[in-house]
Amino acid sequence: MLKTFRQKTRRAVKPLVRPAWLLLTAVYIVFATNWSPLEYVELGEAQIVQTTKPLVCVHTLLENEVQEWKIKRSLELAREMGATSIVQFFPWAYFEPVDDQYNWRQADLIVRHALNQGLRVIARLGLVPDWARPREFEDRATTLNFLPEDSFDDFAEYASRLATRYTEEIQHFIVWNEPNLSFEWGYRPVDPAAYTRLLQLSYRAIKDANPKALVLAGALAPTNEAPGSSAGLNETIYLREMYRSGAVPYFDALAVHSYGSTEPAEAEPSADRINFRRLEALRRIMLEAGDAAKPVFITESGWNDHPRWTGAVRPSQRLQYTLNAFEYAQAHWDWVEQLCIWAFRYPAPLNGHPDNFTLVSPEFELKPIYYALQDYARGWERRATRWLPPPAGA
Amino acid sequence: MNMRMRLGLSLGLLFISAVLLFLFVSLTERPADKAKAFPRGLIAVGVDASVPPFASDEDQAVTGLDIDLANAIARQIELPLRFVNISYYGLYDALISGEVDILISALRVEAARMDDVRYTRHYFNNGLLLVAPGDKPITSLEGLARQKIAYEFGSGADTELRKLEDDNETVTGLPYELPRYALDALRLSYADAAIVDATAYGLYQSQHPDWSAAHTYLTQDHYAIAARRDNLDAWRLVDEALAALKESGELARIIARWL
Repeated sequence: MLKTFRQKTRRAVKPLVRPAWLLLTAVYIVFATNWSPLEYVELGEAQIVQTTKPLVCVHTLLENEVQEWKIKRSLELAREMGATSIVQFFPWAYFEPVDDQYNWRQADLIVRHALNQGLRVIARLGLVPDWARPREFEDRATTLNFLPEDSFDDFAEYASRLATRYTEEIQHFIVWNEPNLSFEWGYRPVDPAAYTRLLQLSYRAIKDANPKALVLAGALAPTNEAPGSSAGLNETIYLREMYRSGAVPYFDALAVHSYGSTEPAEAEPSADRINFRRLEALRRIMLEAGDAAKPVFITESGWNDHPRWTGAVRPSQRLQYTLNAFEYAQAHWDWVEQLCIWAFRYPAPLNGHPDNFTLVSPEFELKPIYYALQDYARGWERRATRWLPPPAGA
Repeated sequence: MNMRMRLGLSLGLLFISAVLLFLFVSLTERPADKAKAFPRGLIAVGVDASVPPFASDEDQAVTGLDIDLANAIARQIELPLRFVNISYYGLYDALISGEVDILISALRVEAARMDDVRYTRHYFNNGLLLVAPGDKPITSLEGLARQKIAYEFGSGADTELRKLEDDNETVTGLPYELPRYALDALRLSYADAAIVDATAYGLYQSQHPDWSAAHTYLTQDHYAIAARRDNLDAWRLVDEALAALKESGELARIIARWL
């Protein structure tokens, strides 16, 4: 009886053994090798940006976006909002993880979709791969922003490769990010002279690869740190030092970050406060250095509307200040080429106040400020009131 | 022995083994080692003191709900503590590098960080609340039909309101510039309900103690304390201290002091 049962079972199971093995093997391949089937995302029809405000630009963060459709959707939304350009990070550590071995897959996706949406790409370069930096410096592990002078040539080589690969597609390159902050300089004292040497090497490498390309220096961060501070250096002092170090021939435009903090867009600039118009001091230094012909790109800007962070404003203020910032820049700063909002969208929530800098949530929910900027950029009629007055009797 | 008996015997043995294993693990679990958890002899607490009422930096001294909570935990563990004020961007780096032992900084539990970090049980839920008058509580989404709901323009409540409007076309949103105006609108009967986060609600209630309102959570936003994943002792000591504070009512008193 038992034998018959076993035989019957064996007979029933036998045809299933091979498919089961195949299924198990497939599961193993997917999980053990991290393999995923190729995602098929249609590029779609080539688009043209429709805007009445060419200044409008957004800083995207697509280098960490895993799914191609999200890259496409983000860029579609940027275009539909009326942005003409994006600033996009092209981290060296991602694209040359091993010396002289490049993997451009993510960069190709971003560039392809951006151009298809009619957006101009401003490439921001930074982030040092393991092989190009020491494991430790002064008994501490080095960070991804630690670029030793020995690796300046390697960085320039990366810049050259990027400029060569996208000769037709990318014409703007920002060399490094916020070099006047210690955190962005690998937690070392900032060094304008060393940065100028990096700029010089990168400039030559990019120009050799693409003579039409524009090299942007900076992008300098607004900070009140005095000389000798362990956190950074006031950007005006830093820029003067760059000029003193002979930076003039090695950049075509200056990239700056101009955050509004808690003040309105029109608030008077001041040496000891962070506000939107603070960059006027940098412009004066450019004029003093005889560099008036070079434009300025504001590659990060905006206000934060976290409900409780002390550096934030209310969402209604953020909206109004942001629109006023574009109006102010358009009316008063003919030397500003782009005003880019930080940040368009994060691929995943950061679970803190930085989430409140964005225009679009990770789930693609469009915030009211997105619609307001769209109305502004597309020249659509603005809604007269977006919120009610305080309730009477309160 | 037939097959049924064999199966029964195997299951019985399996059950007994599981019970023995459970007893072994439970009885041999060693108590958390305070010296190992906090080798500096004090608890170094990382906090971003720019988020009142949880933590703010006034006259060189950090104050707030998180600060009081950290002090209460240190008392439970019977160790002194030191606050390290760190900007949001550097909090987890400071924890992982060992500059601080724990983080108490209105932190949300993040699954993506759990390779490096252990979170304690949560101590506060700052989710969005649907607030209604005390005598007319709204307990279901159906109860929102034809209701006027006040909220802060552009905030998380705005996003939530749009979702409610998608589900129920008869809902009318009343956007205000501040969460307190939204609650004013409710209190003064311009609105039937309001959506605000738990902190805004707590702060408003403390200013209007006579106002009777009922609330229900629409979203969850749990705050917890973070310790390094490899410092199991610190995590256990802090989590146990937090449990004791919850049990004794001290946590509720700390929250009531600030909200």
